[in-house]
Amino acid sequence: MAYEQILMRNCREGGDPSIKQYKAAGGYQALDKALAMKPDELVEFVKGANLRGRGGAGFPAGVKWSFLPPNRTVTYLCVNADESEPPTFCNRVLMEHDPHMLLEGIIIAGYATRTTVAYIYMRGEFTEQFHVLQKAIDEAYADGLLGKNIRGSGYDMECYIHRGAGAYVCGEETGLIESLEGKRGWPRIKPPFPAVEGLFHKPTVVNNVETLACVPHILTRGLDWWNGLGTQNSKGTKMYCVSGPVNRPGCYEAPLGITTRELIYGKDFGGGMRDNMKVKTVAPGGISMGFLRGDMFPKPDGGKVDVTRDCDELDCLLDFDDPRHYGLLGLGTAAAVVVAEDTDIRDVLFNVTRFFSHESCGQCTQCREGTGWMHRVAARIRDGAGRQYDLDLLAEITKNMGMMPGLSICGLPDGAAFPIRTLVQKFRPEFEKRIGEQQADAAKRRILQTNPAAYDLPILQGRAVQPAGGTYMTPEKLKRN
Amino acid sequence: MPKITVDGKQIECRDGVPVLQAVLEAGWDVPHYCYHPGLSVVASCRLCLMEMKMPHPQTKEMDWAPKLFPSCQTPVKDGMEVRFASEGVASSQSHVMEYYLVNHPLDCPVCDKAGECYLQDYSEKFGHASSRMVEDKHKNPKKDIGSKTLLYSDRCVVCSRCVRFGDEVAGAGELRVINRGHRAEIDVFPGVPLENELQGNVVDLCPVGALLSKDFLFQQRVWNLRSTPSVDPTTSAGATIWIDHNDDRIFRVRPRFNEKVNEWWISDETRFGWKYVADSKRLNQPLQRDNGAMKPLRWEAAPELLRRLLDEAASADQGVGVACVLSPMLSCEEAWLLSTFVRSRAPQATLVTGYVPVSGPDKTFPKGFKISAEKAPNRRGVESIIKAMGGPNATFEQFVKSAGDGKFKLAYVTGGYPQVWLTADQARAIGKVQTLITHDLFESALDEYATIRLPGASWAEREGSFMNADGLIQPFERALKPLDGVKSDGQFFHELVGRPGLYRGAKTREAMAEKIPAFGDIFVPRPEPEHAH
Amino acid sequence: MSWQAIDRKSAPADEGPGLSDAVKEKIRAFFPRYETKRAVMLPALHVAQEAIGYISVRAMKDIAELLELPPSAVMDVVTFYTHYWTHPRGEKVLMVCRSLSCQLMGADKLQHAIETKLGIKDHETTPDGKFSFMTEECLAACDHAPCLMVNERMHKRVTPEQLDKLLADADSDKLPMPRSDLYDAPHGEKPARGH
Repeated sequence: MAYEQILMRNCREGGDPSIKQYKAAGGYQALDKALAMKPDELVEFVKGANLRGRGGAGFPAGVKWSFLPPNRTVTYLCVNADESEPPTFCNRVLMEHDPHMLLEGIIIAGYATRTTVAYIYMRGEFTEQFHVLQKAIDEAYADGLLGKNIRGSGYDMECYIHRGAGAYVCGEETGLIESLEGKRGWPRIKPPFPAVEGLFHKPTVVNNVETLACVPHILTRGLDWWNGLGTQNSKGTKMYCVSGPVNRPGCYEAPLGITTRELIYGKDFGGGMRDNMKVKTVAPGGISMGFLRGDMFPKPDGGKVDVTRDCDELDCLLDFDDPRHYGLLGLGTAAAVVVAEDTDIRDVLFNVTRFFSHESCGQCTQCREGTGWMHRVAARIRDGAGRQYDLDLLAEITKNMGMMPGLSICGLPDGAAFPIRTLVQKFRPEFEKRIGEQQADAAKRRILQTNPAAYDLPILQGRAVQPAGGTYMTPEKLKRN
Repeated sequence: MPKITVDGKQIECRDGVPVLQAVLEAGWDVPHYCYHPGLSVVASCRLCLMEMKMPHPQTKEMDWAPKLFPSCQTPVKDGMEVRFASEGVASSQSHVMEYYLVNHPLDCPVCDKAGECYLQDYSEKFGHASSRMVEDKHKNPKKDIGSKTLLYSDRCVVCSRCVRFGDEVAGAGELRVINRGHRAEIDVFPGVPLENELQGNVVDLCPVGALLSKDFLFQQRVWNLRSTPSVDPTTSAGATIWIDHNDDRIFRVRPRFNEKVNEWWISDETRFGWKYVADSKRLNQPLQRDNGAMKPLRWEAAPELLRRLLDEAASADQGVGVACVLSPMLSCEEAWLLSTFVRSRAPQATLVTGYVPVSGPDKTFPKGFKISAEKAPNRRGVESIIKAMGGPNATFEQFVKSAGDGKFKLAYVTGGYPQVWLTADQARAIGKVQTLITHDLFESALDEYATIRLPGASWAEREGSFMNADGLIQPFERALKPLDGVKSDGQFFHELVGRPGLYRGAKTREAMAEKIPAFGDIFVPRPEPEHAH
Repeated sequence: MSWQAIDRKSAPADEGPGLSDAVKEKIRAFFPRYETKRAVMLPALHVAQEAIGYISVRAMKDIAELLELPPSAVMDVVTFYTHYWTHPRGEKVLMVCRSLSCQLMGADKLQHAIETKLGIKDHETTPDGKFSFMTEECLAACDHAPCLMVNERMHKRVTPEQLDKLLADADSDKLPMPRSDLYDAPHGEKPARGH
């Protein structure tokens, strides 16, 4: 069945992102409703909706707002549009097609939290979206929706776009704040939390684009409507992304709690696999949440969840709770990447480890060294020089890198550990088979392997002439010996 | 004072410190790299993690929380209960130590830090002897980042202490982290080298051998060094230091924690200001003028000779024509012994505060570290002794003027400055004194007028105490044997006064305190916790 | 030669082009938006890169002066983010996404085709200064995998076969929508690109 497209009502090729279109569709009516309420009432109202953050952690937005200290003169709102989690693109779709929906959400949230300035931290890769959103902001200023005395309410708010420059970790709220302050995006230690001491040491709220876009609709349609959607702890509507070798890759809206299978095979969603292939694995919440086994495995007996056995896990519900039962970190961004049966699992492992070793910010030891180490191990396995022991090693690294809370400042190492751990655990037979098929001289090549990381981030090229690769065990040296 | 329970033992701790600091002070060895009490907390090395009792979310009963907390970031709270002796903590420590070795070159045999390296120590105590990583290491380059410092960034553990020091204490911010992830390294901006006046501290701060002092590079294995507590002889601030020496040679000077003066830091002036001690131009032979030419004088004969000369000069007029210049480079004890000696035979002798070199204004750094303009350690000490002794006194300028007017028959002039301290005019004026006894480290313009010239010892070869500009009396110990042919000043004055046995700073101070009670109140900074670094 | 230390203390601190007054003015225009001058760092770097093609050592120094920071602080930020180039780049920068979705859909082949066709590798520029190539983690267009960005413009579902046409197209980096000039070089300023 087709679900009502609420957030995505204007998201189609050739859709008009102007304020005219948005107003014609009933836009900015929620704002009037909000401005008629007191800010604290509004916070309570959003609290009642249990609007859980769409950025990955699922923390209720209303509760976040209520953490702001009562006596404050300056409040900042940072809109997290640094959508960097592969393969997530729902914020891009939303900002590209309906930027005013986001702006209305920002103004309402800003009013509720008595925000003085809202910064939209937009990742640097979003270029077209930047121009669209900037135009929308200009329109909003011209229409008196931003700036001084918004709609005659006496409430003032400025709104600026701040463009990022390519760093995954700036999607972490304190990394984002540091980056906004003009520093490297190294996440801060908490406490103090941003609500108390955030941007420029002032109380700050950080919300995801999609979270804010939901706010106007909750206001216009009411709590009953919102709470009627979704599952027990996961209310409302969500933009799901699906990509990979499916027939209809894209972003689709549905209430929280559809199954992964529906997302891949539903005719209003992914539309099934290309060439009728089977699914080998799927990361249903973005790669940092971990991987599920696909339907090339047999269905479980009686539909019971048992992650220790090689069973089809596509019945995982995509809400805030169910993915945990399958050994995943959480719902994440509800963006599924589907891997077909013909893909070598070693390539998936390599790709995932490369991403995290490239994006680790380098602050905490486990993450800085662990991600790089795992990447090197994965590269070696992919190149046909793996050892059976490497699988245990990878599992062990993931365990002490991010499986226990508190090991690191931010959640990035957890996000790096879960996909690798789930891949190694759930596809161990395949890894073992592939490693077993390796040529006999694999062990020798293992040492000859040069350091893949040396070519990883050549951003300071020309800085110095450095020997390529490591110098402790260069191939030349080994050959000589 | 809050009380907390650590590993089942109750300890009392200072208010407002992090748990890590509290347990270090209580004697625990908790591994840490990024934490330093003098810098902001970043909690990035993740080594000092601990377990803590928290109320259970449902039952509200206090129980061990199923997560780890960085102890450097958690302030102590009365009644809190934490533990380091647990399987979870030990396993986390051992794994983090393994990560540190992933890209660290195991070049300890050629590393200056080996022996005092916290990567070695913690690997031994908390980690592993070997690494399970079989791939190539990612190797960052070695860099020449300043006139005094080298950076071997392949050894770096990215604790960012040096960066924070540059930002917060030195206020210069030349060092930065560049790149990210495991390619992160420390660097300076091209052509903007590390050249602030506190830069030497980053070498001490570095827990591994990444930041190296060019001055100390490949000079000595640290386990051959012995450390002697001392006080900075270059300025009046009175920074406390360690002299690291071997075979009667100084190899380096490091800061010694002092909560009242320099905290954990010293300036480069102090750090490298000891070089004159090993200068080949230092005097090492007492001389006596004999028919116009200087002839060697035996140390044993000197006291008798001096007593005789002094008696001759003071016999007629109680010593009105006698002056004694007490250099601010002398320790309090030495100044007291010498003035006591002079006054014992010439009660009306003039006591003079020696020349006090001053260079520029005082400098204060962002967190309050001070470099004082007065380049002598004990002006205040000498002044208080002169005041306590009473009788005629003079400033150095007054003395030079009166000497030029021919007022003095005999003068005992102590120097001890590492640099030239007299102009030719001043020397000529002082040269009018008939019997001139000089006691100095180096040749000076006074030499041609001197009747007796005695070689002095440097501060590292002496013991005693300095009173700093704020009136703090801080003792220092002898690190080196005096140069061949040199007698330590204290020992010589001790013999002059005729006291029995060997000169001892502390003993002399006791005797001195009986006469001048203010000198009974000395300040010794509390030692840093054994496992802090 | 790994025992040799790189000389950083006498490295040239004025390499490359600096910022013109017009560009500096453009950067100053961002000051009222933030509480601190330092917060203008990222916009300033974007504007500078737009104006001179990359972030030269001299540009870092100029920005440090504008923002009242030590120049090392600018270098710190520049090297943290992947979008800033510290060496000249070509007129058109081809960015291939290398994240999972794109790789599953053939980004590898696309990357290989670009590398062989242009004869350059990651972060290199063709001798004629026309093209630079880099790989990028997720470009957030996984529904159109594999995707390729040419400067600002996203090209979707690019196959190696389309590459020739795409490289020949002079307008391959022109955006289909009106641009905001917030981060652009001031009017008339031409980026000095290429080697």
